[in-house]
Amino acid sequence: MDFSSILYGFQVALSPGNLIFAFIGVLAGTVIGMLPGLGPISAIAIMIPLSYGMDPASALILMAGVYYGAVFGGSTSSILLNAPGVSGTVATSFDGYPMAQQGKAGKALAIAAISSFAGGTISVVFLMLVAPFVADLAVTFGPTEYFALMLLGLTAISSLSDGSTIKAMIAAVVGLMIATVGMDQQTGTSRFTFGNPSLLEGIDFLIVALGLFALAEVCQLILRRKEKESKKKSDVGNLKLSKGELKEMGGPISRHSVLGFILGVLPGAGATIASFLSYISEKRLSKDPSSFGKGNIKGIAAPETSNNAATSGAFVPLLTLGIPGSGTTAVLLGALLVVGVQPGPLMLQDHPDVFWGVIASMYIGNLFLLILNLPLIPFLAKILAIPRQLLISLIIVFCLIGVYAVSFSTFHLYILLGFGVLGFLMRMFSFPAAPFILAFILGGMMEQSFRQAMTISNGSYNVFFQSNITIALFIVSLLSIFVPIISGYFKKKAEANEDERKGRTA
Amino acid sequence: MKNIRLIFLLMGAFMLFLAGCGNTQESGEAASGAEGSWQPEKPIEVVAPAGPGGGWDTTARAIAKLLESENIIDQRMAVVNKPGGGGAVGWAYVNGKAGDNHTMFIASPPLHFVPLNGQSDLDYQDFTPLSAVIADYAAFIVKADSPYNSMTDLVEALKKDPQAVSVVGDSAPGSMDHMQFVKAVKAGGVDVKNLKYVSAQDGGGMSMLLGGKVDVYSTGLAEATEQARAGKVKVLAITAPERLEGETISEFPTLKEQGIDDEFVVWRGFFGPKDMDPAAVKYYEDAFKQMMETEQWKEVRDNFGWTDNYMNSEEFAVFLEEEHKEIEALMEEVGLKQ
Repeated sequence: MDFSSILYGFQVALSPGNLIFAFIGVLAGTVIGMLPGLGPISAIAIMIPLSYGMDPASALILMAGVYYGAVFGGSTSSILLNAPGVSGTVATSFDGYPMAQQGKAGKALAIAAISSFAGGTISVVFLMLVAPFVADLAVTFGPTEYFALMLLGLTAISSLSDGSTIKAMIAAVVGLMIATVGMDQQTGTSRFTFGNPSLLEGIDFLIVALGLFALAEVCQLILRRKEKESKKKSDVGNLKLSKGELKEMGGPISRHSVLGFILGVLPGAGATIASFLSYISEKRLSKDPSSFGKGNIKGIAAPETSNNAATSGAFVPLLTLGIPGSGTTAVLLGALLVVGVQPGPLMLQDHPDVFWGVIASMYIGNLFLLILNLPLIPFLAKILAIPRQLLISLIIVFCLIGVYAVSFSTFHLYILLGFGVLGFLMRMFSFPAAPFILAFILGGMMEQSFRQAMTISNGSYNVFFQSNITIALFIVSLLSIFVPIISGYFKKKAEANEDERKGRTA
Repeated sequence: MKNIRLIFLLMGAFMLFLAGCGNTQESGEAASGAEGSWQPEKPIEVVAPAGPGGGWDTTARAIAKLLESENIIDQRMAVVNKPGGGGAVGWAYVNGKAGDNHTMFIASPPLHFVPLNGQSDLDYQDFTPLSAVIADYAAFIVKADSPYNSMTDLVEALKKDPQAVSVVGDSAPGSMDHMQFVKAVKAGGVDVKNLKYVSAQDGGGMSMLLGGKVDVYSTGLAEATEQARAGKVKVLAITAPERLEGETISEFPTLKEQGIDDEFVVWRGFFGPKDMDPAAVKYYEDAFKQMMETEQWKEVRDNFGWTDNYMNSEEFAVFLEEEHKEIEALMEEVGLKQ
């Protein structure tokens, strides 16, 4: 790690051409991110043939911009419409949407933009300083480690719901069941596909999220259409944050830029899982967990910092090892081939301009994103001032287009509608959707990791106790189950004593 | 209501964008004249039976763009993604357009594996082979500090105990990553019924290998080359018939030179729907051939590390038939044929 290579990186990134490419990339990325459903993968894939003959550094600067720009912009529709723009911003809607409904949409968007910027920038610093050292982390995580990590995530299910724990569990089990649909990776057997090839690859995460969150919300809006919109919409676009509020964001930003970055480095974890785990851990740390899900500032700052940090983290295995950690980085890898760069462990040696140029461009790109997004907030927030009838149809149209643009089939539109109905019914009977979606995203990977580990070990469970990381994650999982129970027990006892005393005096 | 207008504007722009990358297909019978005189009369739909960004999609887009930009085909070549079912969704789509001379799709060996796994009712016989274009090869690699130094070492270990080694690939059992390995070690005399195969997703195979979680990674040549050049992995064998040319790549031993009589070509080629006009087949055959002679093609090909593997429709059909027989027998033996 030497200073001159960083300077060299900025030289590459600050050349007029590359500045323009970074700008186009993040602009396209934010717009794509804002549209529900449509993610960065398709956009980058469509750009690949256009990049023939381009300078490799410029091509990657452009496409990386689309990638992190999409995650940056994805929070907008999560917050305003409860329709996640990209899968990494589902967790943002948990607190972002309620806050927007309280007439503070501008504020919510500003929090998201600032956290995204901070998460993105801080993690690029990590990327620059420690990329070669944390590269090994990416490969130390094998099946048992992933299994333990997913288990840790699942222990948070009860903390994701305010109401009945049993209902949260039921929702989570249904989520796990849906995760089993599709071809089983370890045996090649079709499960619950009913002979339909469209189901062989399972159900896309975003389809489930759009159905459960956006369409279910639409149903509710339709039911409530006769209610007067009582909230004042005049200052909806106001994005002023008080000093205290900014201070409140400091904690989550510093914590989750680290956590998000580490989870981003792990191939297979990525921005979506990072944002969920950050949201959950922030809620656990909070002194007032009951305010989460109702428009808590930290509830927006944590996942937004984390998903952007994870995006930079995902560049570590890509740039240092040539291993794609996610669908999007796999496409980026293909794009590198097109422009004549062989991604691999020697890229830093062979193409320092690509390596350092892209990293440096990410600082600049994040700055562009902040400058682009902040002034747009008042305008974007006014979407909520649109008459409800129009807004509802807009959300529906956006969701349908988004899903079709990813799946290219009408069959998936029916699945989307199905999840919309399911989400609506769940709301009617107050089953929380968050545990469902968490179990759905973690469950599939948890099962596959478990079975990979069992195949490798010839069916012996000892394999789970041979790695320190695995054991540590198991211990944390156990703690996160039992500590709340035990502390709850003591609290109750104390309260009971209190009541008893009160009763006596009375 | 300036904002509403803005939103509709955005929506409009978005739809235009979709239309731009979307379908252009109206079915209409092309007027076909005498032998050899067929010309496309409207945009040609090139189906990539997978999502954007994968191998099929990238190859199809690269080739479609060259055919257009080199003015070899005088019509727009619209690449359309039909993802799902490991290709089955796209094949079903093309199968519904029998006799259409303006539709084609890109394929590779999974066109054998997926139907044999029972995941598609359609196989290569339901389509018209147009041309094979490129070849890639499989590579079997181990970590640099692995005790196995050659394919012979590995085969000997597997002969003693088929469970001695864990093999990872990026797709499910019965798919290409799995079967290419099975095919090779079977030729080496290993009992292939009880091999330990682990399936990873999203390129997870390489990280599992580098992390020492598994012993062998069955993958493609392109994935192996850079890691080998950096000294992180050893390439035990590639499935090419003879050594390949090029820096690093020429160091990879073939199966044959290690006394294992096997080779496996990861071909990529194009197919039309059933009952395509023979004149149209001829037209496309020639177009692909012509494209592969351009300088632009050579550059693209070298960037991706592909090898030219041109076969015309007739040669391609013969090749496919033989390969299918061989794979079918193998899948039957492993017990994966449905």
